[in-house]
Amino acid sequence: MKKTFSIFILLSAMAFAQFNVVASYPYLGKIVQAVGGDNVKVKVLASPKFDPHFIIPKPSLIPAIARADMLVANGAGLEIGWLPPLLKSANNPKVRIGTEGFVDASHAIALIDKPTAVSRAYGDVHPEGNPHFDTDPHNIIPIAKYLTQKLSRLDAAHKAAYQHNLSQFISRWHAFLNTFDRQMKACKGKQVIQYHELYNYLLKRYDIHAVATIEPLPGIAPSSKHTLALIQKMQKEKIKTILQDPYHEKKTARFIASKTGAKVVVIPHDVGSINDTETLEALYETIAKRLCH
Amino acid sequence: MTKKMIFLSLAASATLFAQSDLAQLKAQLAKQIHATQALQKRVEELEKKQIETVANTNKTTQAPSATFDQKSFLPDIALILDGSAVGRNIDNSTYETYHIPGFSEYDPNEESEIPFNRNRGFNFNYAELALHSTVGPYFDADAIFHLSPDEFEIEEAYITSRTFPYGLRAKIGKFRSEFGRINAIHQHAWKFTSKPLVYEALLGGEGINDAGVQLQWVLPTDTYMMAGLEALQGSNDVSFGDTEKNNLYIGYLKGSMDITDTTILLAGTSIAHGKNEDGHDTNLYGTDLTIKTALDSYSNLLWQSELLYRDKKTENGTEKQAGYYTQLVYQYDQNWKTGIRYDSLFKNISDQPDDLDRYTAMVEYKPFEFTKFRLQYTYDRSKAFGSNDERKNLSEILLGFTVETGAHGAHAF
Repeated sequence: MKKTFSIFILLSAMAFAQFNVVASYPYLGKIVQAVGGDNVKVKVLASPKFDPHFIIPKPSLIPAIARADMLVANGAGLEIGWLPPLLKSANNPKVRIGTEGFVDASHAIALIDKPTAVSRAYGDVHPEGNPHFDTDPHNIIPIAKYLTQKLSRLDAAHKAAYQHNLSQFISRWHAFLNTFDRQMKACKGKQVIQYHELYNYLLKRYDIHAVATIEPLPGIAPSSKHTLALIQKMQKEKIKTILQDPYHEKKTARFIASKTGAKVVVIPHDVGSINDTETLEALYETIAKRLCH
Repeated sequence: MTKKMIFLSLAASATLFAQSDLAQLKAQLAKQIHATQALQKRVEELEKKQIETVANTNKTTQAPSATFDQKSFLPDIALILDGSAVGRNIDNSTYETYHIPGFSEYDPNEESEIPFNRNRGFNFNYAELALHSTVGPYFDADAIFHLSPDEFEIEEAYITSRTFPYGLRAKIGKFRSEFGRINAIHQHAWKFTSKPLVYEALLGGEGINDAGVQLQWVLPTDTYMMAGLEALQGSNDVSFGDTEKNNLYIGYLKGSMDITDTTILLAGTSIAHGKNEDGHDTNLYGTDLTIKTALDSYSNLLWQSELLYRDKKTENGTEKQAGYYTQLVYQYDQNWKTGIRYDSLFKNISDQPDDLDRYTAMVEYKPFEFTKFRLQYTYDRSKAFGSNDERKNLSEILLGFTVETGAHGAHAF
């Protein structure tokens, strides 16, 4: 009994030292770390190698959530298939949905592609809008600001440090965006198809036209009928680029490419999803390089 | 906006062309381009500002609603439907007399309790209505109504605490116990259409599903460990059933770790202590092991096994019985899955057979996440029929469908 108590005290002492933040996806982890600095301890739940919709709700993720002071989610329904059962099992009232400690990053973003009619007849639609806003680096600053606001409120003692880190991050990110915008200008007006509506925020900002998707409906695997129609469309409209995410099968994209002479380009969707994308900058540099060269 | 301006300026330049000379036109055009660029810049700036405003202010724009409108408090509602077509080498009237020698008996005066897929031919098993809602700051409420063609049953109805500290959570009401690996899992989420033989033999068709209280604790360790205690009425009459007062106490410890980044191990051990219908002690022990390897986002291999052991006191001494199942399920992609399972009741009371076992194989097709078709073949050597306990091997082929529609929460690991 005494032992349990001393373990308790030890643990709570450790917990006091740093503010524990759990982030659902790696890119959110990077932003929290940038504005949180040494005052926060960040744990990322999802592996970037997997489809962000289909993360296995591993019980091993529960202890981190159970100890978290703040949980940062992408939101807009992206985690609906895996985070709620973990949250329920973690029994942590601090990060329950609806409390201050549960932070939904999508609240900082003006979501696009909000469906006018919602039905599962249209596949796995997100009623809130497209949740893949992290593919556009211009969305990083609003999220960083939002997270700083939340961190400052939950851990008021380090407010000044968080504000300081944020302003440094913003200037660093503005400089990065200047270069990025210049690189992206090269592919303005380009026509592409993508596997899933994963890159819409990025494509929209840089006037790249996303003509169609390889999956016939969101979350539905490609069908031969849809694929053949897509090939015809691409031949007619002379579309030469296929944007492929790292986690879906690439067979269909390669087949389409072989019939149309188009190029399959794997575009990373998150930090660490492919090699050499370990930082936010490296992620977007890779995106620009692959998309616009 | 910008596009319109460009068009207008082009139109304007077109009319100008007719009247003026080239030099003048060039100057005009340069001016126009300059103006358009300035406008574009302003639009970009405004857009940026707008995004920043969204980030800085919490969303306050909400559609006005009618006074006293309570629509937004409606619970999440899900509907689950399940049915099947069955081919079997035993006719329906004989099948209804089945029992497992040493574990259950055939009573001609009682109606048989076969919950699913009872008939050769077509079966509509159930429509299940599941409601979930937050009651207030302190509790969530869940209710699952199991509707079969001639029965309305409150499968589960309970409240769960939301704000307990130290990793604790309490549940009060009627609920499926988390004894073992699959007792708490609903039929629509099972990997095979039939329940493991050892569960059916020791806990019947319903499992431990009872009124009572539950307390669970997530230990403050880096490795996931969860301990649970339950106090229940004890109305499961296969192993327990003495309900003169609340008689059933259950405890379990579950732990999980990642063997590699993509290989997960989950293990548990459980004990249930209660009184059987004759008022004597019954202890039920369970141990389970699950290993899952993710091959990619949509493909994985799952191996799950569970052993149950029952120690039941009677007038004349102690009955010791045990069994296990082991199953291997391979998910090929988002649509296809296949699996095999072996069931065995290897320990029985004296003068009863201990060679009771069963083989099951299935192929599952999911055209969409919430729609499932399953073809399952079963070869069962554990059943006896009628009042003279005649053992017969049973072969069954089953094609089932299950859909989940509405607001249904994701399943845990």
